[in-house]
Formats: sequence, C-alpha cells, structure tokens
Amino acid sequence: MTLPSQRHEQEKRAVDEMSSPTGSRRKFITWVIGAVATVIGAGLLIPLAGYLVSPALKRRESSWIDVGPVEDLRQGEPEELEYVSTMKDGWRTTSTKKAVWAVKQPGGNIVVFSPICPHLGCGYRWDFEDRKFKCPCHGSVYDVTGKVIGGPAPRPLDALPSKVENGKLFVIYKQFKSGLDHSVEL
Amino acid sequence: MASRLYDWLDSRLKLKPLERTLLDEPIPGGASWIYVFGSATLFLFVLQAITGMFLVVYYVPSPDQAYDTVQYIQHEVRFGWFVRGLHHWGASAVMVAIGLHLLQVYLYGAYKRPRELMWMVGVILLLLMLTFGFTGYLLPWDQNAYWATQVGTNMVATVPLIGDFLVRVLRGGDSLGALTLSRFFALHVLFLPTLILSGILLHLFILRRVGPAGPWSEEQARRGSEPFYPRQVYMDAVVILGVFLAVVALALTVEFPLADRADPSDHTFTPVPEWYFLFFYQFLKYMSGPLEPLATWVLPMLFILGLLLLPFLDRNPVRHPAARPVALVSGVVFLVFVFSLLGISLQNLYGIPRVDPSVARGKALFAQHHCAACHRIHGEGGNVGPDLSYVGDLRPDRQWHIQHFRDPQSVSPGSIMPKFALSDKEMNDLASYVLSLRSGGKGAT
Repeated sequence: MTLPSQRHEQEKRAVDEMSSPTGSRRKFITWVIGAVATVIGAGLLIPLAGYLVSPALKRRESSWIDVGPVEDLRQGEPEELEYVSTMKDGWRTTSTKKAVWAVKQPGGNIVVFSPICPHLGCGYRWDFEDRKFKCPCHGSVYDVTGKVIGGPAPRPLDALPSKVENGKLFVIYKQFKSGLDHSVEL
Repeated sequence: MASRLYDWLDSRLKLKPLERTLLDEPIPGGASWIYVFGSATLFLFVLQAITGMFLVVYYVPSPDQAYDTVQYIQHEVRFGWFVRGLHHWGASAVMVAIGLHLLQVYLYGAYKRPRELMWMVGVILLLLMLTFGFTGYLLPWDQNAYWATQVGTNMVATVPLIGDFLVRVLRGGDSLGALTLSRFFALHVLFLPTLILSGILLHLFILRRVGPAGPWSEEQARRGSEPFYPRQVYMDAVVILGVFLAVVALALTVEFPLADRADPSDHTFTPVPEWYFLFFYQFLKYMSGPLEPLATWVLPMLFILGLLLLPFLDRNPVRHPAARPVALVSGVVFLVFVFSLLGISLQNLYGIPRVDPSVARGKALFAQHHCAACHRIHGEGGNVGPDLSYVGDLRPDRQWHIQHFRDPQSVSPGSIMPKFALSDKEMNDLASYVLSLRSGGKGAT
C-alpha cells in the first residue's frame, strides 16, 4: 500500500521523466488550442446573438386597416371608429378591439387622430356639449382640428395616415412617444 | 494585455497554484488520442446546456403553445433552426461520445480498483443522459413526440404492483397531457441539469483524486507520465473541434422537420423513438406476449444493475484485454446484439420496401394496355371507369379480378370495359397489382 503522499511523489518524479513539448512545438500546440477555442466561440456567439436579438429588432408591420364607410361621417362631428386589429405577438396572433377618432373637416377631407393623448398617453373623449376633445387624466383640451386649447398637452393630437377608397376609410395605426412637443413614432 | 490582466488577478486571487493543479495532472504513459472521449462528452454536454438555454427563451411548455413556439423558433427567429438543429444533433452526438467513452474505459479495464466509484458515477451520468433524451423528445409536442412518449410511459406500466402508480406519477395523471408536458419540461431543464452537473463534478473530482488510469500495460505506464497540458489538451481540443464541426454540418444540412401537431385522437400514427432507443424498440417487437415484462423492465433493470456493479463483479485486477477473455467476449456479444437490432430496425424503417415481382409485372401490364386511359389511380388517369386507388380494399378477391379481366360483363353486367386476351400468368400478375392498391399498401404508388 502506498500512501497518497508517496504516490504523489512518484508521480512528480514520473512527470519529470517524460518530456513535455518545448520551443516552437509547444508554441504551435498552444496556438492550436487557442484557435479551436476561437472557432467554437465565434461559431456559437454569432448565431446565438442573432437568435437572441433578432425578434427584439423586428418592427411591427403596419398596413392599411379598413375602419368603416365614410358616408356615416358628418362634417365637424368626430366619430369614434372601432375595428378589430390582428396583431402578431411572437408565436401568438391576437385580436384586439381598437378605436380611432375620425373627423370630417370643413374642407371635406377626413382627418384621423390616434386615440391616445399626446401628453402622457391616456385615452381622451369627445365632449359633445362642449364640442372639445378632453383628456380625463390631466385635463388637456383640444379643438375639433386637434389643436391644443387648454391643459398641459405639449402638442396637437397625433394624426394617422388615412385614405378613402371605394367609400371606405383606411388608416395605418401608429403609436407616438408621449410628452414631446412634436410627433415621434414609436 | 491578457497576461497583464492575468497577473493582476493572480496577485490577488493566487491563481497560479490552481492553474498548476488543473493543468499539470500527470497522465501515466503520456497523452493519447484514445483518452479524448471524456472531454468530447463534456464539451457536448456544455453545448447542449448552452443551446438548451437559448431554446427556452422562446419555448413555452403548454400543449396549447409548445408546438407553435417550436415552429416559431424553427421558422421565424433568426438562426432558430440552427440552434434547434445544434441541440437535436448535439443530443445524438453526446450519446455517441458517451458510448465511445464507456467502451474505452471498458476495454482498458479502467473501471477496476481504485476507480470503482468513478465508473459508478459514470453509469449514473449515462442514465441521466438517457432521461434527458426521453424527456426532451416530448417537448416539441408533435405527433412523434406525443405517441413515442405514450409508448415509453406505457412500458413502465408493466412493472408489477407499482407499475400503474409509476405511470400516473410520470404522466401527472391518467393520460398524457398538460401535466405531463410541464413535468417533463421541469425535469429536462431544471432537475436533470442540476443532478447531472453534480454528477459531472463528482466524476471529475474522483478523477483528480485517483488520477487517470493510463495504458493497460504496466510496462508502458512505468515509462513515466506526462502533464495534462499541453499535449492532452491539444488532442482533446482537436477532437472537440471535429465534433463541433460535425454537429454544425448536420445542423446545416440535415433538415429536422416537426411532424404534425400532437393529436391525441389520431391512433393511426406510428411513432419512432430516437435512434439510440431503436435497438430497444426492435427488441421489444420480438418480446411480445408473456415475455414482454422481461424486455420492458426485467432485463433493462438487470443490465443497469450489472453495469453499475461491474467493478465488483469483475474483481480480476489485470487490465490488459487479452487477459480478460470473459469481459472481452461479453462486450463484443453486447455490441453485436445492439448493433444487429439497430440495423434491423433501421432497415425496417428506412429500407426500400421490396416490391413483389408479380406486382411489378402487373403494373407494367397496366401501363402496356393503357388501363389508365379509363381508370384513375391517386389522381392520375381517366375517369371513364371506376377509380382504382383503393380497389384492393374494396374487392380483395383475386378470382373475381381474373374473371373480370377475362370477361368484364360476366361479373359486372352492363360494364363497358373491353375483354383482355392475357395469359393466365399475366392475368395473375395484373390481379396482384390491382390487389396491391390498398390504403397503406406498399404497391400503391
């Protein structure tokens, strides 16, 4: 029976007896080990980084949404138009009910407002008696053209791209950063 | 730069002694290409752990969503198909690496005293790895996953007395469903990794305490030893690179599509297990009836116990294979057994189905006499006469067909089919072909 310490001594001697590569051969070996680590590291890092990051960078595709016929709109009377929006959320496809505000302006053209107050992102309402858009959160007030006429709002209501085709109103739904004095799309 | 950082750290954390302990491990008889399998296994395990962690980023273990999330990974996430491919092929590669590692240790008698514990921990690691494979297979929740797991869990039911109880525990209830998926997922990504990590650390700890076994010949071992670094590390690295490139090549070139979404009501689906369970799958086919429990649990249990206790069953201290005929022969017998079963199974699954020559001749007659001008088979041919796609199911009577070819009106009054003047042999061949047109029939296409 050999004691562990004795065994260790034997091994130590044995290590000395067998030569380990030196000089250029040792350099080459070290280089190969480093190269293997680099190839495998890069071979994994690049796809894995892309895997993790790519869905985060994917922009939501926006397309024209049919929000209903234009004939029901009366001049100067804002109308809340509801529609069902289908959104892809990763592997899920969800349908949510959304609404936009459409106003037929005196010139006859239709302006569509995002339903979100540009101040801090609450949902505002049309006050039929006062004939103003009012936000219940912080008291911002807008006129029928979206201009700020009261409260803390830093900019007018955000208009959404819209068009009329075959008597139907189409919009592209967008979201904007709140609190800024000009519209910046999210 | 790197060395200055290392010096800075070393002056605080005293890394140099640790480095020497890790890298100067003496290898009796010197470094060798035959010792690389353990490192290759460890590398593949790490690869599985990394790719697995990334797969979990988008995977949801619920029957409603699991399949969709795997589809999402496969088709929509950038490099998703690649990460999934690496994990899939990595799982196969790790089984190969473990197999080779085990064979090397067995051949070199490296399980013998004083390395009994290292061997036993190794056997447990092998079992954990197989459990990884089994639990991971269910997660995509496609038809194959569902039905293979159905069969796998049913096998546990053959264990006497506690079989039914075990199956319930395994499935989390009566049937395979949400609870099964969620517990398989938890096992696969939390329980097993924790267990296997502890096992690997223990395996390596024992290795460092008793040292590597080295060559089987005493004489060669006495020539001296060589430190682990740099030559053994170099050999390990070269092999690991080869293994990595092989797994990458498989992930890039061999498509690994999902089957259809799991459908518990579709009993016609025939599942196929992973290739490393195939030999067992084939073995089960031969062990039907009263022999079944023998195959499903008695023999596997005895085999695992035998493997686990091998160092105590084989007490002969000699390590040279030539001096261990019993060990060598039983090893070879086992390999022949496993690979024959695997071969037969692969042939049954992927071999070209042999077409009955009579069916082939009948098919040629069918073409020669332009039968397709009137009859349609799987969408091809005219629609004057009846569709023959599944005529073998509808009319399985050979004599009826022969009589019908000879004189159609005699068995089918009012038929406008002409009489065919064929020899008896030709009649028989044509009937063989027509009878082969069955749903699920091999000669149908």
